[in-house]
Amino acid sequence: MKYLIPLILSVSVAHAQNAPKQKPPVPRMADGKPDLSGIWQGGGAAGLTFAIGAENAKAARPDAAQGGRGGGGGARPEPAPYQDWVQPKLKEIRDRRLIDDPSGRCLLVGVPRITSMPLPIKIVQTKDEVIFMYETFHAFRVIPTDGRGHPDDMDPSFMGDSVGHWEGDTLVVDVTGFNDKTWLGVGGASIHSDALHVVERYQRVDYDTITYNVFIEDPKVFTKSFNTAPSYLSLRPGERLREYECIADNQDIQRFEELLKNPALFVRPPQ
Amino acid sequence: MRALFALTVLVIAAPAFAHHSFAAEYDGDKPITLKGVVTKVEWENPHMHFYMNVTDDKGKVEEWKFEGFPPNMLVRQGWKRDVTLKMGDSITVFAWKARNGMNLAHSREITLADGKKILSGPPAGTGGGN
Repeated sequence: MKYLIPLILSVSVAHAQNAPKQKPPVPRMADGKPDLSGIWQGGGAAGLTFAIGAENAKAARPDAAQGGRGGGGGARPEPAPYQDWVQPKLKEIRDRRLIDDPSGRCLLVGVPRITSMPLPIKIVQTKDEVIFMYETFHAFRVIPTDGRGHPDDMDPSFMGDSVGHWEGDTLVVDVTGFNDKTWLGVGGASIHSDALHVVERYQRVDYDTITYNVFIEDPKVFTKSFNTAPSYLSLRPGERLREYECIADNQDIQRFEELLKNPALFVRPPQ
Repeated sequence: MRALFALTVLVIAAPAFAHHSFAAEYDGDKPITLKGVVTKVEWENPHMHFYMNVTDDKGKVEEWKFEGFPPNMLVRQGWKRDVTLKMGDSITVFAWKARNGMNLAHSREITLADGKKILSGPPAGTGGGN
């Protein structure tokens, strides 16, 4: 008998080694909700940026997460629907080659942009909260999922105020209370106001993928609400958050200041 | 108007490897390839920098400075601090020159002494076009 057990074990191991690799199932909490805990990297499907998708784009599906860059799920990327008065400001931003990007000065980048930054995110889920810790500028979000609403004393902030709830297996996060000091993404989708309202939807569709869909409205700068192109977060097993202190050795800030003294060096010439 | 929309889409779709505008500081239309010897590596967030002495045909030595990815990103693509790139290494760097006219450039790829090529920074035009 004492020889049989090692034999069975070795046969089992050999079998496991030959079997096709199967993903573990989506982990679940004691209450049955999917567990989003882990280290993740956002920005999938749209590369490492955040593409604005078609109006009323369909929610991302697992197959959409696998395909294409920017416009997965059949959503044809369209420009963000800015009001006319914003267009000259957008042109100025482009002509100044994005030197005014607040992230270049290490300011918190806001939601949803933080999700697509090229540094990982640690999610810790409990029964009543989902906690996001971002390596980017050490931002964090503590998102209650216990049914409470936004507080009535919100100060306008870079990351806004987030409250969540579950719709089936999807974590839905309502974010409001922003200031107007962040950019939505890069380039054309930059400006927003303090009326920005973001609704994020996170669904762990398999062991190593969370689909990420975002609804955006801001009646002060956009003509209508819209959804971003589907994106996703990928699990990063074995990864750990590292320090990303941004100010101490940020030589870009000094170089920006020097360039701003002589705009002819970098401002796009009139065409 | 349609042209403006198309432009906007292009700008939105630009990759965002770095946290700041590449285009404000560096000129994507001015690529440069330089060969030299590393004199210093600053392995610091939010972006690494390294220095290199470049000797021209007449024996004149000029120091160049290069920006690159954050150390966190370098580590995740296989770099090791003080090992992958260190003082005394003979390397060739592909980069784009700074707009300020200094001996400063944004590195993209380094060819090590043994011929191995490694990525050291984002592509040109990261945010804001060239």
